[in-house]
Amino acid sequence: MRAWKVVVLLNLALVVGVGWGYVFWGLKVARLDRELTLARAVASSGVEREWVVAGVVRAILPELDVLVITHGEITGLMAPMTMGFRTASPKIHEGISIGDEVRFTLRGVPPNVAVTAIEKTK
Amino acid sequence: MRVIGTLPEQRPPLNAGSAFLYTSAVLALGLAVRWTHLACSLLLVGATTLIVLAGRSDRATAIHWEERLLARARALALAALASGLAQVALQTALLEGRTAAALEPSAIARVLLETQAGHVWLVRYGVLVLLATFLALRLNVERRADWRAARGEAALLGAAALVPIAASGHAAAVEPSAALATAADGVHLLAAGVWAGGLLPLALLLRAAGREEGADARPYAVLAARRFSRCALVLVITLALSGTGMAVTNVGTVAGLVGTTYGRLLLAKVVLLVPILALAAVNRSVHLPRLSGDGATVGRPAMRRLARFVLVEGALALAILAVVGAMTVTPPARHEPPVWPFAFRLSPVTLEGAPSAALRALAGSQVAVLGLVGMATAFLVRAWRLRLLVGGIVLLAAGAGLALPPLAIDAYPTTYLRPAVPYQAASIATGAALYRTNCVVCHGTTGAGDGPGGARLPRRPADLRASHTAQHTAGDLFWWLSNGIPAAGMPAFGRELSEEQRWDLVNFLRALSSGYAARGMGPTIEPDRPWLVAPDFTFAVGPTPPRSLREYRERRIVLLVLYDLARARARLAEIAGRDGTLALLGVEVIAVPVHDARDAIKRIGREPRVLFSVATEGSEAISAAYRVFAAAPHVEFLIDRQGYIRAVARGNGGAGDLDKTIAEIQRLNDEKAPPPAPEEHVH
Repeated sequence: MRAWKVVVLLNLALVVGVGWGYVFWGLKVARLDRELTLARAVASSGVEREWVVAGVVRAILPELDVLVITHGEITGLMAPMTMGFRTASPKIHEGISIGDEVRFTLRGVPPNVAVTAIEKTK
Repeated sequence: MRVIGTLPEQRPPLNAGSAFLYTSAVLALGLAVRWTHLACSLLLVGATTLIVLAGRSDRATAIHWEERLLARARALALAALASGLAQVALQTALLEGRTAAALEPSAIARVLLETQAGHVWLVRYGVLVLLATFLALRLNVERRADWRAARGEAALLGAAALVPIAASGHAAAVEPSAALATAADGVHLLAAGVWAGGLLPLALLLRAAGREEGADARPYAVLAARRFSRCALVLVITLALSGTGMAVTNVGTVAGLVGTTYGRLLLAKVVLLVPILALAAVNRSVHLPRLSGDGATVGRPAMRRLARFVLVEGALALAILAVVGAMTVTPPARHEPPVWPFAFRLSPVTLEGAPSAALRALAGSQVAVLGLVGMATAFLVRAWRLRLLVGGIVLLAAGAGLALPPLAIDAYPTTYLRPAVPYQAASIATGAALYRTNCVVCHGTTGAGDGPGGARLPRRPADLRASHTAQHTAGDLFWWLSNGIPAAGMPAFGRELSEEQRWDLVNFLRALSSGYAARGMGPTIEPDRPWLVAPDFTFAVGPTPPRSLREYRERRIVLLVLYDLARARARLAEIAGRDGTLALLGVEVIAVPVHDARDAIKRIGREPRVLFSVATEGSEAISAAYRVFAAAPHVEFLIDRQGYIRAVARGNGGAGDLDKTIAEIQRLNDEKAPPPAPEEHVH
């Protein structure tokens, strides 16, 4: 066989090999990527969820049924911040005062969540 | 030039039974293996590209040279494969920390499949095996097209086996532009392969053609040498540029160059390069033009001498590879603490407030520039070349002799050491406490050097607030703290205080002198003039995860309020009332109580309704550190998005009109180009 044909064949084989590997792995990565996105979407779709979060009470607004709490990260819902949460019942306010460090339960279909239980941690 | 001893080296703790791996014998073996592999890979590229560069010839001597070169390339490819295997085995043993792992196929497979360096090895092995097979084929290349295809392919495969090394070296770990660094390293490798790898094959050709019986190939050799020389110029410039770029990323500072193993290896590499370049210059300007001279009297002797010179060049280039091999296993200077080897350093700060020294330095620098111009002219004009060159060198030396002495300032091994403890509130607070117990006696409570213990000392204790503190690096202060200043009666604290405590003191001293400089800073900002770095701090609000000042960098302006609740209730209410406005202006309010932090929120209670961050943890360190900048019962610091303190409002319980503060915040928001963020460490 002529040398230039050997070279062409060799390069062709290289390109095909590299291309095949790229397609093989690339397709696999793309599939995993899709699955991951899907799994995340399922996790945050209209399903009722519940979180237990630590925080500190900053303000109590019984007339609005709202507690303002500085809290840590709420996984999959929000970053750490100070914000007002609706309370599921007015009873929840009872026995809680400003500056209390608390552990509270948040339940609902995001973004409509409410505090369903709260307890002082110290 | 006095050279001071080195600092003790730190080594990672060893696993039991792995100590053997770190013995000098294994280290030497590793270097030898690396050198062999690198040299084979480079020579492969050099040999295959030189054949392409020289072109096809029908002269017997030239064909014979090409065949011999190809035979050696086959051997080189096999040697590269073997040394590569040995290198991977050694790497596996080092990664696993077990000597036996070097011979375990499963451990080697793990390294090959699960590390980036392993992937690079797999790719390179593949290409090397292809290349070895291709070279072993011995294709028929009688026709021009076949010759071109076969030799071109060999050169291509050689380069493909060499360049990926860049992706497994230091360049691949450069942050943030690893791709650029890897590309530069790849270009550097390729250029080194074609140039340094091509020297020995070229010497072979020149020697063959310089022989009596090789006369038929002499025109071919002359042509090859000329082509190679033309390429070499471009390649050397490429090597210099990419090498400089990599040196800047991996070394970065003069201290890193002279004070770390990596930097010194780089210097050794450059020193070895000098004779190579000198030889190359002689070859280019003297021997190359003579090649085409009369065959017997000028051409042939010149060719034989050129062959010898190129051989020496090639040998020196291989010696450089040993240094390169050592560099690849040495952590880059940027990540190592530099040990400054000289008793002095040069710094323009010494000229501040010294007009005569400044004048001398200025005059000297002008003379030196004149000398440089003279030297540059010598290269451009032919007449008077030697005189211009000598005159230029003399002027340069005289200028340097005049300008540099006033710039010299005492330096110590630790001078360029980067603080082991970052410039943070907690460290400054610890340093302040250490200062009170250890330093106050002589340096005084304010740092003015007026303590009672200082009166009897041979030299008055230094005024630690003075601006001259800025002339000294953090490493200088660390040295004095550790070893004392015997002449001045300053004791050494190297035994009493741990290394961390000494860095805490250094951080406190930096805060003290910049706090003194900031004594005139008021509630109005100086537009576009940030200079006072806000030490980072961490705080927590209740049981939430701790946050740091740094997290607000480039996002929010921070209004840091150090308050005493008994006096500041009205002020807190005022700030709380403007919460919305402040949030809209991009301000994060962080209130730090001076007393009783644990229940600070509880103590504020229902009124005022404070919803901004109130630190219940970390407040002691923050107030201790920030009090160094402004000591008043109530202080408000305005910290810009780049992390500089821009305005300080002091008061008893309040701090002036909040509307004015808001106006200042708006001026901060109007500032155009954001100045660069300060470094985390003092320097």
